[in-house]
Amino acid sequence: MPPSLTDRRRLGLGLVAAAVVAPGFAHAARSPQAEAFIATEGQKVLAMLGDRGLGEAARQARLTQSLDALADFQRISSFVLGRHARTLSPPQRQRFNAAFRSHVQRVFLRQLTAYRGSLLRVTGSTARSPTDVVVNTTVRGSSGDEAVNWRVLGAAGGFKVADVQARGVWLAITLQQDFVSTIDNAGGDVEALIRRLEAGKG
Amino acid sequence: MLRLLVLAVAATPMMAVAADGGPTVRDPFEPINRALFKLNNRGIDRFLVRPVARVYRKVTPAPVRRGLSNAVNNLREPGTAVNAILQARPAVAAKATGRFLVNSTVGLGGLIDVAGHHSLEREPADFGQTLGRWGVGQGPYLYLPVVGPTTVRDGVGGLVGYAVDPVSQATGGPNTDFAVGRSVVRGLEARSEADSLLTSVMTDSTDPYATVRGAYAQNRAAAVAAARGEVEALPDFGDEPQGDPN
Repeated sequence: MPPSLTDRRRLGLGLVAAAVVAPGFAHAARSPQAEAFIATEGQKVLAMLGDRGLGEAARQARLTQSLDALADFQRISSFVLGRHARTLSPPQRQRFNAAFRSHVQRVFLRQLTAYRGSLLRVTGSTARSPTDVVVNTTVRGSSGDEAVNWRVLGAAGGFKVADVQARGVWLAITLQQDFVSTIDNAGGDVEALIRRLEAGKG
Repeated sequence: MLRLLVLAVAATPMMAVAADGGPTVRDPFEPINRALFKLNNRGIDRFLVRPVARVYRKVTPAPVRRGLSNAVNNLREPGTAVNAILQARPAVAAKATGRFLVNSTVGLGGLIDVAGHHSLEREPADFGQTLGRWGVGQGPYLYLPVVGPTTVRDGVGGLVGYAVDPVSQATGGPNTDFAVGRSVVRGLEARSEADSLLTSVMTDSTDPYATVRGAYAQNRAAAVAAARGEVEALPDFGDEPQGDPN
């Protein structure tokens, strides 16, 4: 006689239980404060994107505000230049920072539209050090759940996001590899990158 | 030739970390890889793969696509279970087995991801990851037309995984109509799913080739770190950012 639906469910649940209790998981310290920061600020960004009452200009302004509250632009803009960060003159640094901010906003607005109206749920965190935490979330959208991780630097009251990971890929690390390669291929000329970003290319 | 490939892989550090930060891969064939990347994106993908994937997406209703995607993913669970065992990860093997049993029965042959709806989410494992788990280095980076980014280790892992896949073995081998059909649906699904991401990479990156290579290196490094039960190695963001962010 074939197994009944109930038997199958029992078997499934048994395997689930085996998966849950199986040994081999290391438990790193969590950071409830960093988790709360992402739950609040991350959801604000998704809610803002889902607000259909906002015009394009207002949405852009709100995104600027939200990203300022959420991300450490100063630190990220140095990081993405990699080994070339110290070669910029002060005027180049100023132009790069402005162009980079516009670039990130443009890319975020385009890419985050897919998450419009999604719900963000914090699932855990790993404190790599007292001031360096990776917060794990799932973003529930129309096409199901997607794991999104946030690297949060700083301490309670001064948390800022330095990087975001989706599909196993960190955004700032990828940007660094992109930008460094562009500069290298231009013979180390940072101007080549700045001009591309200023032109809205890339 | 095979011996040379094995030597090349074994001689490579397990996970190269760029001088700047983040995992990366050795790319000794960069000029050839860049030429193939261009050929793929300006030719094969643009005029063949992408249009077919877009037509597939357009003519196939979303629920049907999701069902096919679930079914194809479900058929990968036995392979995941085998690799998880080879990786000494019994919990992942149990989860893959549980997902396969639940979805194949209650989930109507895998069309519905019932297990996923009950917090038993998919955690794929492959043979390239298994090799990485036991210390085999990535070997040189390769960009192959249609296949996309890979390394010698992952390419060999993919071929071995395809040849010995438990579902293929149980249904007559990797050359049956069923196996070919399954590969085609899987490829269409993967290309269709990645369409907006790939468009974004080509539009938003200053160097799309470097972006794809970096993203691939990260993705695989994260998979191998997970197989080893390690916390992912992440670069330092530095303590002294320079200049005014505005």
